[in-house]
Amino acid sequence: MHRFLAAVTVLALAWVAVPSRGAALHVLVKDPHGKLIADAVVLAAPVDPKSAQRAKSPADAVDQVDKQFIPYVKAVLVGSKVWFPNSDHIRHQVYSFSPAKTFELPLYGGTDAPPVVFDKPGVVVLGCNIHDWMVGYIYVSETPFFAKTGSAGTATIDDMPPGEYTVRIWHPSMEHGEETTVRRVTLNADAPASAEWELGLKPTLRVPRVSGAGSPGYP
Amino acid sequence: MERDRGSAATLAAFAASIALGATPYAARSDWTLGAGADLRYDNNVGNAQSSSDIVADSTVDARLTIFQLFPLGDDYSVTLGGDLRGELFRRLTGLNNASLDGTFALKRKWGLGAFAPWARAGVSVGRSSYDDSYRNTWNYRATLASGRRVDERWNFWAEYAFERRAASAQTPEVPGVSADAYSQDSHDAAVNLEYSLNENAFLALGLLGRHGDVVSTTRGSAQIYEAARAFAEDPAFGPDAYAYKLTGTTYGFRLGINYSPTPHSLLGCGFERLETHADGGNRYAKSIPTISWDYRF
Repeated sequence: MHRFLAAVTVLALAWVAVPSRGAALHVLVKDPHGKLIADAVVLAAPVDPKSAQRAKSPADAVDQVDKQFIPYVKAVLVGSKVWFPNSDHIRHQVYSFSPAKTFELPLYGGTDAPPVVFDKPGVVVLGCNIHDWMVGYIYVSETPFFAKTGSAGTATIDDMPPGEYTVRIWHPSMEHGEETTVRRVTLNADAPASAEWELGLKPTLRVPRVSGAGSPGYP
Repeated sequence: MERDRGSAATLAAFAASIALGATPYAARSDWTLGAGADLRYDNNVGNAQSSSDIVADSTVDARLTIFQLFPLGDDYSVTLGGDLRGELFRRLTGLNNASLDGTFALKRKWGLGAFAPWARAGVSVGRSSYDDSYRNTWNYRATLASGRRVDERWNFWAEYAFERRAASAQTPEVPGVSADAYSQDSHDAAVNLEYSLNENAFLALGLLGRHGDVVSTTRGSAQIYEAARAFAEDPAFGPDAYAYKLTGTTYGFRLGINYSPTPHSLLGCGFERLETHADGGNRYAKSIPTISWDYRF
């Protein structure tokens, strides 16, 4: 028994120690003042389309917690199925008017809503018909190589075939279109590549969640 | 003149116990809870014309709100709700009051989302109970409102309301002249505009109009006596004070700036100016600066 456990441990350590055969891209996104930008989607499209083959994405989810979409920005591969569980104690009515996906989930609670398949690339803006301040974004990506920046402004895409890629950035508040961010990056298997983007953001405006006793948000 | 000092406190305690008892249930259901408080200064509480009669005071107002929205198909929704409110005056303690209101509203939205135009019709019934209980009223209000959020920055809506405040009958001071000075009917209209400065702050502007009964606690004169449709003692303002019910028209505006320090709360700073032209040449004005706080659970 001890021999078996030792063998399993050695094999596991060996598997962990072997470096990934894919290339990796580390990205840092910040604004012109140096402020790190979260929720930016980094998309890397291989110049050789044969490299863009990857396993189908598992089903994804955008939750509703404290009357907000969590996460605020979600990136999925085109064709992905996304569930919209509702973790709140009240019901929500999720909808989108976006050309990339128009849908409506009638008022529901818990996990009662069926998943939505995002079959066209583009940006899908989510809303709740009951709670006007709820806004979320789904970026439906054509390329399987994407990631989203965290609060440190960084994102890593790994397990990418070495080669040339066109890389671009999208953010819900970006001042200019994502086509202005396109860059060509060459990835090698032996060392990860790093790149930095500076992104101008527009001020974010949202429907106020609390609007005071005199306003129309108050029934 | 009845001055039952316990009535406001009794109503407030009774309603608060119901609200607190319901809180755990509300937290687990579709009911939405809200709370708020205002600190307000009114430079003419009694609506007096003469500077010697004008009484200013500051008030603290706290409220608890509970409501639930029931969608009816794609376009309509019904809201049921209630408000519990208490108001304390610094000097005019007889005006301290508590009120409990129930509201029913039917809303129509033409489309989905935050930018769909909407209209709403609502009715509410409530009871206000004052420390000086001769001011106690049953309150009835019917409203029609409509508006549209044009985009993330601009929001616009207009509202009309008919309000009736029915007070208990008082014994006339003068035979043949009504003492029902605290019952009032009025028509109110308002046009409101909000402008978002950024993600957390917005400006609010409201233009207000009102026509109907006004109660002016002022020194008696031949003019006001002749114009008054009712008058009664108003000891909340002093032993010799009288309240006169007149018909008047009020115009005014409200300006405010609001800031959300957290997603659930809103701090506001506002200023309201109202000018009233009432029967008998009685004209008065008031200015009301307010600091407010609202919290939505």
